[in-house]
Amino acid sequence: MKVIEAKIVVLGSQGVGKTSLVVRYIGKMFSKHISPTIGASFFTCNINVDDARVKMQVWDTAGQERFRSMAPMYYRNANAALLVFDITNLNSFSAIKGWVRELHSNVQEPMVLSMVGNKCDLEDKRAVSQTEAAQYAASIGANYCETSALHDQGIDQVFRSTAAALLKMSNTGPASLRSYDSADGEPHRLPFGNPSEETATHTGKVELPAWSIDNIAHGEMQRSMCC
Amino acid sequence: MSIGIILCQYGKDCQDQELTSLSGKLERNKYTDYLYSDQHFLMPLLRFEQSDLKCKNGCDYFGNPQWQGYCSKCHREQMSRQRRAEKASSATLPKPEQKKADHGLKLTARSSFSKFEEKRQRQSETLKKANLLKFTVFKKSSTDDHDHTPEKRPPEFKIPSMVNDGMKQDFRARFPNLPPQVDRDSRVFVHTFIMDVMKCASVMTVDELSERVQRQYQRFMKHMDTSQHFANVEPDTKEQLMDFVEKHAMTYLHDLPSIVFSPIGTDDERADRAMSERIQQLSWVGERHLECKLDRNSASCRQLLYKAISELLSMDSAASPGGKLRQVRRCCRHVLALCGRDGAPASADDLLPALIFTVLKANPPRLVSNINFVTRFCNAQRLMTGEGGYYFTNLCCAVSFIENLTAESLNMDKKEFDCYMAMPASIGGSSWAAALLLCGVEREANEQRAAAQKAREQLQDLQHRADRLAADSHSFEEQISKKVQDVLSKTPLEIKPRRELPRIGKLREISSTPLIDLDTSTSEDTRPLQDVTDSRQPSQSNGNAFIQDSQVEPQTQSSKPVTATEDTEKLNILGFEVIDKPSPTKSPQTIDQPWDLKQTSSLELLTPSPLGYTPFDSRSIDELMTPDEFGADHLAPGLGNINYDIDLSDFSGDNSIAEDAPKPEAKDPFSPDVLKKQMFDPFAPQPQPESLNSILEKFDEFSLTYTGNKTLDPFEIVHRGADPFSPPGFTGSLPQNSSRDPFSPVQNESTSILDHNESPTAASLLPSPLQPQSSEKPS
Repeated sequence: MKVIEAKIVVLGSQGVGKTSLVVRYIGKMFSKHISPTIGASFFTCNINVDDARVKMQVWDTAGQERFRSMAPMYYRNANAALLVFDITNLNSFSAIKGWVRELHSNVQEPMVLSMVGNKCDLEDKRAVSQTEAAQYAASIGANYCETSALHDQGIDQVFRSTAAALLKMSNTGPASLRSYDSADGEPHRLPFGNPSEETATHTGKVELPAWSIDNIAHGEMQRSMCC
Repeated sequence: MSIGIILCQYGKDCQDQELTSLSGKLERNKYTDYLYSDQHFLMPLLRFEQSDLKCKNGCDYFGNPQWQGYCSKCHREQMSRQRRAEKASSATLPKPEQKKADHGLKLTARSSFSKFEEKRQRQSETLKKANLLKFTVFKKSSTDDHDHTPEKRPPEFKIPSMVNDGMKQDFRARFPNLPPQVDRDSRVFVHTFIMDVMKCASVMTVDELSERVQRQYQRFMKHMDTSQHFANVEPDTKEQLMDFVEKHAMTYLHDLPSIVFSPIGTDDERADRAMSERIQQLSWVGERHLECKLDRNSASCRQLLYKAISELLSMDSAASPGGKLRQVRRCCRHVLALCGRDGAPASADDLLPALIFTVLKANPPRLVSNINFVTRFCNAQRLMTGEGGYYFTNLCCAVSFIENLTAESLNMDKKEFDCYMAMPASIGGSSWAAALLLCGVEREANEQRAAAQKAREQLQDLQHRADRLAADSHSFEEQISKKVQDVLSKTPLEIKPRRELPRIGKLREISSTPLIDLDTSTSEDTRPLQDVTDSRQPSQSNGNAFIQDSQVEPQTQSSKPVTATEDTEKLNILGFEVIDKPSPTKSPQTIDQPWDLKQTSSLELLTPSPLGYTPFDSRSIDELMTPDEFGADHLAPGLGNINYDIDLSDFSGDNSIAEDAPKPEAKDPFSPDVLKKQMFDPFAPQPQPESLNSILEKFDEFSLTYTGNKTLDPFEIVHRGADPFSPPGFTGSLPQNSSRDPFSPVQNESTSILDHNESPTAASLLPSPLQPQSSEKPS
């Protein structure tokens, strides 16, 4: 069975219901009261799509404006982002646009984006029309769902569609996978996909299948030359 | 020249201070040489001013921070001057103490939150030392390499075998199911990893090194994916192996100064200090500024915060990146618990402010260095994903927030913020510091109480066991005494007769005196016999008593009480109370008869064979037997007697002639005195066969009728008839009958043979030879 590990970051302004969304979803998953020590800020869940399993790590972020500058730390290396806004609050929707811009500028590689219009139970106070949101979502190549954390509507769908998109992205091959610009000088082992180019070690292994100090030293020598 | 070049190399990477400390390490004369020769060449290349290196005294030599900025010569002078001044006034403190006092002052000035502060201080202190050390150990030796011999390199970078051994052990403990190749592979990897890092550390920048380390991790990961050794290893286990490898490699490297932890060429240390000062400055920031839901007055809240802080502080002591991540995770768990106290699960909106607050209150030592260490050298995959990664990211955010904290980020007026910042660090946040201090004290008190409780429980347990032991010993004692009593009551008389052996003579005397009187009245020969041997006396007296029993019953009875009293007396003397009871109850007569029976019978059985027909022998045997019998009574039953008898009989058979003369006389007085004498003396050799035959016939009939059960019995009787009584038995058949009459009822009464056989008095009182016959009849 193919297993995909993905990191999903939840972004959005304060008060749009990011946490309620996550809490609602976890609450259904665990069908119990969530232990306060685990909290709702971080959780993992497995979703089976077709015959593949998507292991999702969901990172909640602090929505306060003063922590806005810290956001890059969270969405770094994320494979998907849930952009949550409040359909009764136009500002939160425009904030999403800001987030998307920021993601595009900071993350070169493709990322699964899912736009979530929360609080759809408050239809009469709607400030962001569904078509407008859907259009914008299409323009950035994102899924769009409307949910109600209060009535537990559409939340499951958000995560499932995200998982499916992640699977699709991983299937398109290594070319479409992100290799992060390592501003901090760290190459990463990608969460899913094929190995990145490490020719030196590769040759080292091919040459000398018996793993020994000499072989490794040889491999290093080559690689250091390459680099 | 070469040194100069090396110094130039370092000048590129090193901080000024570090270089000066290095230069201070060099030999002075070398140094001066180098100064004079290469000054013009060296100086332009260094980034710091020449004056920075010079001695404070203004002499041309270089100074060293270790020597308070003096050159070695000036420093020595300075020190000696100080010492002299000290001797003179004895008021000035020696250097180190001064330093310490300085610290103390700083501490008190800063805040009462001294516990954490102290720890931090100590750690930065050790770090400083380590920093100096690294130059002496690694850099210096590497310069030596360049200078002299390349052979020095291997010993220099040798990894202590402890690393390898520790890995082996840990591997066995953690992955007992994995094949040994995996173990070897991982160890080989760690070895090459460390070697590689050591090799590269001196020539690479930190970022390059970090990249290289990450590539090493990836290579190992790939190796695990491709190698056959890891074919059967689960993906989860591979992750664990990765962590395992990382842990062991980095734990070793972490402890090496300035290789991976706050390495040279970075300003990690300075950032640490700056951060620490910054946090101190911000100690006034409270929960309301950060809008986090913390209640200073709630004990549970304080406790959780305290726990979170201690976890965060211990991050510094964890050696591996994984270990540090674990500490962060633990810390954040407590913080989450802190946020989620009101039931709702804590969200990121709550977590981050609370974590910031925790960091502010904890002021963890070497915070920036630790964070950098983890970001650089932790397996990137682990850092980017997983719970640990998430919380670490939060910590990074918190640190970054604190670094860039402004009035705006706290939603407060700029003026007020500046006012707070201008305030001495000791004022702000003292309430929280006090609360946390309280927490620490409380925890300590709890620990003490728990320890006391534990000690008390132990004590109680101990006491309980002691009591049980005492009870056990008591019951054991009771049991033993009971058993002893049981045994004594069962076999009370076993002991007694042995003791009485010597007294039997005495008894005999006592008991026999009346008998003797009787004897004397009836016969004259008893006395001389008594004189001959003790053992013979009783037998004769027995015989006397027995035969005369019918005639002189009152007298014998009168002797009984005497013996009984004697018994009791003896018992008391011996200290056996138990025996008192049975001794009076038993009736000597009844007791001894059955025993006598047996013995006599056995004796008779054996005696006849050698003796054959002679009446002399028979008599002599008879006499000899009686003493043995008597002795046997007391010593031991059964075989012992038989042996004696055999011997005696044999000897007596040989020697009997001499002895015989008086013995018949002795016997005479017995039962049918007159008849015996008549029969014996004249008929001695010849007529006996006739009499024997006649006796045999008669007794056979008897025996057959009475003792048909045993094969031996008929023999007995045959012999018996033959041995002793041939003459008297005949004539005494009547008396025997008469003797049976009185005894038979008595014997019937005595049911238990064993109980009573031992009483000597009984033995003494009852006539030995005749009884068996009488006893057999009833049995």
